[in-house]
Amino acid sequence: MNLVAGLDFSILPQQLVNGLLLGSIYALIALGYTMVYGVLRLINFAHGEVFMLGSYAALFTSWLLGFSPEAVRGVDRPSTWVNLVVMLLVSMIVCGLIGVLIEFLAYRPMRNQPRIASLITAIGVSLFIQYAGGLFLPQSPPPAISEQVNPYRNEKVSIVLKPAGQEIVAQAADATKKAAIAEKAYDDAQKAGAPADKVEQLRNDAQIASNDASRLQTQVSSQTSGLVIPYGQLGMLITTMVLMAVLWFVVQKTKTGRAMRAVAHDFDSAALMGVNVGRIITITFMIGSALAGAGAMMYATVLRTPLSPFLGVQPGVKAFVAAVLGGIGNIPGAVLGGILMGIVETLVVWLDGLVPGLSGYKDAVAFVVLIAVLLFRPGGLLGSSKVEKV
Amino acid sequence: MKFWLVRLASLLLAVGFAFGLESVVGHQFPSIYRLVVLAGLYITLSVSLNLINGITGQFSIGHAAFYMVGAYSAGFVSKALFSHQPLVPQLWMIVMALFGACCAALTGLVVGLPSLRLRGDYLAIVTLGFGEILRIVTQNIGAIGGAYGMNVKPFGSPPQALWLVWLLAILCVAVCRNLLKTAHGLPFLSVREDEVASAAMGVKVPKTKVTAFVVGSAFAGAAGALLAHAETFISPDTFKMDVSFIILTMVVLGGTGSITGSVISAIALFAIPEWLRNLQDPVTKDPIQIPGPALVASIISVVIAVALFKAVQNRFHGSKPAKFGLYLAAIAAGFVCKLAFTPILAQAPGLAAKSFEASALRMVIFAATLIILMLIRPQGIFAHHEFSWSWVAKLFRRAPKEATA
Repeated sequence: MNLVAGLDFSILPQQLVNGLLLGSIYALIALGYTMVYGVLRLINFAHGEVFMLGSYAALFTSWLLGFSPEAVRGVDRPSTWVNLVVMLLVSMIVCGLIGVLIEFLAYRPMRNQPRIASLITAIGVSLFIQYAGGLFLPQSPPPAISEQVNPYRNEKVSIVLKPAGQEIVAQAADATKKAAIAEKAYDDAQKAGAPADKVEQLRNDAQIASNDASRLQTQVSSQTSGLVIPYGQLGMLITTMVLMAVLWFVVQKTKTGRAMRAVAHDFDSAALMGVNVGRIITITFMIGSALAGAGAMMYATVLRTPLSPFLGVQPGVKAFVAAVLGGIGNIPGAVLGGILMGIVETLVVWLDGLVPGLSGYKDAVAFVVLIAVLLFRPGGLLGSSKVEKV
Repeated sequence: MKFWLVRLASLLLAVGFAFGLESVVGHQFPSIYRLVVLAGLYITLSVSLNLINGITGQFSIGHAAFYMVGAYSAGFVSKALFSHQPLVPQLWMIVMALFGACCAALTGLVVGLPSLRLRGDYLAIVTLGFGEILRIVTQNIGAIGGAYGMNVKPFGSPPQALWLVWLLAILCVAVCRNLLKTAHGLPFLSVREDEVASAAMGVKVPKTKVTAFVVGSAFAGAAGALLAHAETFISPDTFKMDVSFIILTMVVLGGTGSITGSVISAIALFAIPEWLRNLQDPVTKDPIQIPGPALVASIISVVIAVALFKAVQNRFHGSKPAKFGLYLAAIAAGFVCKLAFTPILAQAPGLAAKSFEASALRMVIFAATLIILMLIRPQGIFAHHEFSWSWVAKLFRRAPKEATA
């Protein structure tokens, strides 16, 4: 291992990629926060709970598709990409509907009230979904989506950035060969009914050879620096990018999107200009929640997080921080903030080698970055801080 | 002269009340002693947050951080030093409360400084962030117990802290009330209403904001110090983000800026979950079981009743008694819905077999209460009003004669 000041630089590219993947999920959730904030100036604290419900929607869909724990126990069920798409769509639709429902029942009646009252309602909705979910949703043992749903779980893209030294590669190959020969000799002896002490001797030899081989192989892989990206995570990244492109198109190029931007710019004037504000708010909630649903499905399927009714709290807070970091109400800002958040989080774990114990502060660093940025740019990275008019 | 007499009388009354409560609860109701202590602490917390949030208008949602700083600093010092000094436990707790208050006030100063640059939601997220950072840092420091928490048992047995807790609550209420009633409070109110205008009128806006943060967090810190001694055990989980949210909810639900509201909603919001936790069948003493269909039916009918209530509130502009009658009708409709839906939902196969313990429902009911109260009374229970005796005086005054046209 090439350690510099206790840091293993060979795994840095991999860590950055992992951070990017995690960050793309945060970015999807952050988009929901930022869009709702843009039109309503409301921090939708229930957004993390929408995310949680989305992951459960994906779980139940996978059960309906025949991947319930009972069905997959001990069998290898084949799956296709269609299953994944179905789960993604169901999760998005369910989340979109839940988002609209929350808006209709809890936020719409508060439209003309002080903002702090809507905020408390949002906290109330968030608590309600968490604890009501605790009553009705399966949670112990924490269910996880079966990995058999993902047909590409064993395939991955490997990119070698710097290969290991030729000498050690040759040694490893040699050792592997020797181990195979020793194994074969042991098998043959066993089949031929050789004396017991001879078989024992051969078994030990085979054991030693295979240990040797695996040790050398570990050395090779530790000296090779490169990237390994499972297909699932690659698909996650592509899906995220496609969804963001679609969002960009909707917001920038369609009439609804223009109306959305108008409402975000000035609520009252947009209403006076004939924009159906209520409809636009509903659509905003729907899109934002559907994006969270997509993120939730990928979080639960590809990263295979065990589900619980409190699943949404941590990603929700991180995504919210990401939205504020990028400049809340600003759509590219949310994406930038989310990705930064993911990368910072994985980098902190990586820096643990330099400062032992740092990874314990993983969740705090997000806030440290946020506070540092806000002190110098009070409007977030891409947001503009408005001067108050008198 | 009269001024000082009134002060002295109030002081005596407050001390008398605190010790009276201590002896009554301690001797008659020892089973709820701990709850009364915690209720007192929540009053302090919500009134002190009200000073920052409601009176000065600075949107802080990380109050649990100050609470935690007070608890940990006082707990740590108390563990290390109590056996080396001559004070009796009761006096030592007062010293520790002051110490916790000072530590929290320093933290409040640090958190208050960004408030000069940030406002609104940005300030909210920064205060929340500070709270989380402090909690995670505490979790990672082994010397104060880390994630496992810390035992604070300097006196051997848990001390009688109730009187001190309630004295602190009364002090906090008194400080805020006097601030509002005197000229010293005007800068705070003017900063809340309009920063630019108050700066133009000569109010020192930065000083006012930071003062509010320092004073508010000092009270929270003192409350934390007393919590550490009364509970004898503290852990980072005691001060999670949820606690900040609950304190904030107490302030808003009571009416932002209303001290009376903060006190009453602190007691109510603390009591509701505790009451549900201990709810049991009066005869068999078993925990009450609520069947699944009844629960879902109640949730649906509550939504319907609130929607009807809200519709009456917004759409009906008739006389007061008629409106009141319609409110009652909305509530009655809710009950009818519940009765109608229960047998229908009982047909659903998965649901009928399920039943839930009342104590498991407590947070659900808590959250539902929160949403409903906010929906039907967004300005909070007391809005900006304060409790006063004037309505008693009104009862004895003769109604003014109608002016003859």
